[in-house]
Amino acid sequence: MMLYYIYDGTFDGLLTAIYDAYYEKDFPEQIVPLNSFTDNFLIRRHHIQTDMEKSRKVHDAIVKKISKNALGNIMYAYLSEHENAGIYILEYLRFGFKVGKIVDSYLSDDRVCNINKLVTKINREKHLLLGIIRFRLLQDNIYYAPIETQYNTACLLGKHFAERMADQIFVIHDVKRNYGVFYDKTKWFMSDIEINGGIEFHEKELFYQELWKQYFESITIKDRINPKLQANFMPKKYWKYLIEMK
Amino acid sequence: MNLIEKIKILSDSAKYDVSCSSSGSDRKNKKGGIGNAAPAGICHSWTPDGRCISLLKVLFTNSCIYDCKYCINRSSNDVPRASFTPDELASLTINFYRRNYIEGLFLSSAICQSPDYTMEQLLKSVKRLREEENFNGYIHVKAILGASNVLIEETGKYVDRMSVNIELPSGESLKLLAPQKTKESIIKPMGLIKSGIIQNQEEKQRFKSAPKFVPGGQSTQLIIGATKDNDLKILKLSESLYHSYELKRVYYSAYIPVSKHPSLPAISMPPLLREHRLYQADWLLRFYGFNSGELLNERNPNFDELLDPKSDWALRNLDKFPVEVNKADYFMLLRVPGIGVKSAQRILQARRVSVLGFDDLKKLGIVLKRAKYFITCKGKYFPQRSIPTNSVSIRRNILSEDNIKIHENVEQLSFFTLFPGIMAAKENISRITGEL
Repeated sequence: MMLYYIYDGTFDGLLTAIYDAYYEKDFPEQIVPLNSFTDNFLIRRHHIQTDMEKSRKVHDAIVKKISKNALGNIMYAYLSEHENAGIYILEYLRFGFKVGKIVDSYLSDDRVCNINKLVTKINREKHLLLGIIRFRLLQDNIYYAPIETQYNTACLLGKHFAERMADQIFVIHDVKRNYGVFYDKTKWFMSDIEINGGIEFHEKELFYQELWKQYFESITIKDRINPKLQANFMPKKYWKYLIEMK
Repeated sequence: MNLIEKIKILSDSAKYDVSCSSSGSDRKNKKGGIGNAAPAGICHSWTPDGRCISLLKVLFTNSCIYDCKYCINRSSNDVPRASFTPDELASLTINFYRRNYIEGLFLSSAICQSPDYTMEQLLKSVKRLREEENFNGYIHVKAILGASNVLIEETGKYVDRMSVNIELPSGESLKLLAPQKTKESIIKPMGLIKSGIIQNQEEKQRFKSAPKFVPGGQSTQLIIGATKDNDLKILKLSESLYHSYELKRVYYSAYIPVSKHPSLPAISMPPLLREHRLYQADWLLRFYGFNSGELLNERNPNFDELLDPKSDWALRNLDKFPVEVNKADYFMLLRVPGIGVKSAQRILQARRVSVLGFDDLKKLGIVLKRAKYFITCKGKYFPQRSIPTNSVSIRRNILSEDNIKIHENVEQLSFFTLFPGIMAAKENISRITGEL
C-alpha cells in the first residue's frame, strides 16, 4: 500500500502535513492537495487536518534551523502546483533539517535540485507577469487586469503593483483560479473573485488601447522580423489578455 | 494632427535607437505619487522583431535642422513631420504607465530650431512629469549635442539615464556621413554627465538625502556596418568608454539602410550576426574580465562570424586548458567557453560541499556542449570516445555541431541576439552584478 497525505490545498495545510510526517515518523509516497487527488485501491489515505499551530511550528523551525531562503524556496515550490511539489518539499526539508543552512549549496543533490527547478519556473513567470499584465480602466475608476497563469503566481504580484501604482485602485484577476489581488490605495490583499454582469470600460479606455496598438506597430523594425524570437521571450500562452496581440 | 498620427510618426522615427533598458535605477515612489524603478529592469512586451518594449520610446519632434546622411530624419528627407507638446507627452506616459504598458519614457529628439531650444523642450517635458504628475517611473533622455551645459545638468536631476549617441565609431566616418557632428561635440556632454554622476555619488556619501543625478548611468549607441570601421576599432572604443567615461552600456545597432547615398554602403540585410558577435564581446569585457586586446588584434581585426569570441579566444590559448572544475578560480572558470557568470557561481557554491563530476555539472544546469573540450572533472575529460585536444579538431567539432543550424536557417542565429538588454538571461547577470 502506498501512503498518500491529502491536504486542503493551503500552504498551512501543507506545513501541517510536514509536521505530521515528522512526528508520526511517516514516509508518505505523495503529499497532494485534495482537489487534484485521484484515488485507487493501492492507496492508503491520510487526511491532514490543517492546524495553524503545527503550521507555525514548522514555519519557525525552517527559519531557525535552515534559513529564510529555504522557507521562500518551499513557498515557491508550493505555488508551482507541480504534482510532486508536496513530496519534493518534504524531502528537501528533511535534508535541510539534517545539514542546516548550507543545504542550498548541494546544487547537484536531487532533493535540492528538484526544488530549485520549480523555484526557477516561478521566478521566471513572476518576472514576466510584472511586465505583461495589462490594466484596463473601468467605468468606476478601477484598474482591472485579468490573467491566466501557468503557476499560482498572482499572490507574488501584489507588493510590486501596490508600491508602483500606489494611488490607483486595482484588481489583478487570476481567471483560472477565481481569485486575485485587490488594492484599495492603502493595502493589498488576496480574495476570491466572482464577476456578476459585464465589465464596462471607462470612456477613455479604448482610446489608450488604440494608441498602444499603434505604438506597438510602429516601433517594430520590419527588416528584423523574427516571430520565433518574439514567442521565445513572450510565450503564446500569455497572449490572451495582451491588448497589443489582438 | 491627432495623437494617433503623432505617435505613429514619432515612434517610427525613434525605433532605430536600440536602447530600451529600464535597469540600473532604484528610484522609489513618493507619497501620493505614481511609479518607481525596478533595478533589474522589466520588459513589457516584445515586438514581432523580437525586441523588447520597456519604455515609451518617442522623439519629441522629428523636424531636424541637420542633414546626417544615415538618418531617417535628415532635413532633406521627404517624410511627414510632427511634434509633441510637453502636456501630450506627460499624459501619454502616465496613461500608458497606469495600464502597465511601460516602465517609463525614453525621450529623444531631432534638433528643431537650435540645440538649446530642443533641450529645453525635453527638460520641460520631464519636469512636468516629475513635478506636476508626481511620476517616479523610469525616464531616459537623450542629451542633445550642442546644448548648453546648464540645460544638460538641469535635465540630469530629473532623469534616470542619459545618453549621447556616438553612432559612427570614428572621426573620419563622422566627417563622411554626419559633417555637422564632430568627435569633440559628442565627447563633451559625455564628460559633463560623467562628472555630474561622480559629484553626485560623493554628495550621496555625505548626505543620504542628496537629490539623484542620472542614477541609472549613461549609455551610447554605435552603428555597425554603415562605415568601414572594423570590430577592433569598435571594441576598443567601447572599452575606453567603459573605462574612461564609466558608461553603463554601449549598444550596437546593425545598420539598416534607411536612405540611399553614395557614401553609404548598399546592403540587402542588416549585419545582424556581426552585431551579435559585438554584443558577445561587449559582455566579455564587462562581466568576464577580458580586454579587447585579448579578443582581437591588428592581424585579426574582425570577429569570426562562425565562432563566438570566447571560443575563438580559447582555441588560440589552448595552453591554458583544460581547467580542472574542482580547482580553477572564478575568473578562470569564466574563461571556459560555455560557462557563464551564473554557471561559474553555481560551481563555486556546489564545490563547498562536494567534489564535482560531469553528472553533477549537468544537474547544475551547465551546458557541456562547448565546455567539455576545455575542462576536466577530478582530473578526467568528459567520458566520450574521443575528446580532441588540438585546436583544429576542436574547432571542427564545435562548428559541425553549430553548422547544421547555420545552414538550415540563417535566421535562427538572430535567436541569440539578446537585444535591448534586460532579457531573462541577462537579467540574472544584472541581479548579480547590478551593473546593467
